[in-house]
Amino acid sequence: MKTVRLLTLTSLFAASTALAHTMNVLPSHYVQSKTGGFVTVDLFASNMTFQADKGVGVEGFKVVLPDGSIAKPTAAVQGKRKSMADVELTVAGTYRLEMGGQPRYFTSYKVGGEQKRLMGDKQKAAKELPKDATDVVTTQGRNRALAFVTVNGPTDTVLKTTGQGLEFSFDRHPADIVAGEAVTATLTLNGKPVEGIKADLSFDGELYRNDPARQHLVTDKAGKFSFTPANAGRYLLEASAEAPLKSDKADKMREGFTLSFEAALP
Amino acid sequence: MKKISVALVLMSGLVLPATASDLEIALQLPKISEGQYHRPYVAVWVEDSSEKSVRLIEIWREKPDWIKDLRRFWRKTGRADQPLVDARTGATKGPGQYRLRWDGKDDQGATVANGEYQLVIEAAREHGGRQLVKQKFNWDGTAVALSVAAGNEIGQVQLSRKAP
Repeated sequence: MKTVRLLTLTSLFAASTALAHTMNVLPSHYVQSKTGGFVTVDLFASNMTFQADKGVGVEGFKVVLPDGSIAKPTAAVQGKRKSMADVELTVAGTYRLEMGGQPRYFTSYKVGGEQKRLMGDKQKAAKELPKDATDVVTTQGRNRALAFVTVNGPTDTVLKTTGQGLEFSFDRHPADIVAGEAVTATLTLNGKPVEGIKADLSFDGELYRNDPARQHLVTDKAGKFSFTPANAGRYLLEASAEAPLKSDKADKMREGFTLSFEAALP
Repeated sequence: MKKISVALVLMSGLVLPATASDLEIALQLPKISEGQYHRPYVAVWVEDSSEKSVRLIEIWREKPDWIKDLRRFWRKTGRADQPLVDARTGATKGPGQYRLRWDGKDDQGATVANGEYQLVIEAAREHGGRQLVKQKFNWDGTAVALSVAAGNEIGQVQLSRKAP
């Protein structure tokens, strides 16, 4: 009995740490006042906000230029605790820095009451699942970590939503987020505002205080929630949502994003 | 008679850019002896009652890289209008007393409507601090006599306008 309980705890712990690890795209600067410069971007997984725990593969990182075209960093290296990428800012406007975004498939199932999981979509699962598998659900998971950097005047091209997956829009440009001023976010799933999506807002320096002071936000009927950054500094917004999916690859989708941004001094 | 009226028109033409009705701004930059001293980047501008910038008076700065450190100035004015920033740029200045004026016009040269405005002064210093001063005033033809106490990066500020 003791052994079983221990095993359950261990697997729970493994699952929760895997889920709890937050992906971060953290640029050295969010605002620049000249073209032709660079930002260096930290890419890492973390548990405490902006406390780098693990460097991530840099091949999943891309830069969306102010005109919407996609570029690669001029240099990137994966470190043990964090990875880094240099991004050249040749033109004015708003850039989107993005990591991840590739769908991954996994199929969960039960055999004799025991929960199991295999990496693969419905077609792969059909070949590999044991014959006595029950409760089979295949999930398409997609996570993106984002940040926006603005050189001179802000632009909107890289903020536009696509109608695909979980997306957000703010009632102000990310470069206009200021301490003490309310921001209203709208979260959409496949282009439609959805009620009840949960999001967490946290801020820099969790390692150095007892109370993480995270704000737990939930979208209303119009898919909106509001928050007011109390102080100037770096913030992280995390949200995720699930929805049924009609696809030959998966039964449902699980979408998540993290957005790092700064609230400027008033 | 004709000659006189011409003369009057000329005279009033000369009188039009009268500086007596300007808002006079006296601004001190303090002497700072602690730590490294670099001259501050300073921007002085006027915002309307909705906190929208209507007139950039001056910006004292050097390299464009660091203008962003004047956070509010950059957000409200600088980032959107490079030619305006260049046109109002002056060299950085050391400790001392400086006098500026606002003629009641916006960046396009149009006379602003009567109402409440605020003078905004922002200073940021490399290896030093940042300070923002906001002082509201009524711009309706009446006299202005206001004083803002000295802070760490911006010394005493005085706003004055003579009644006509």
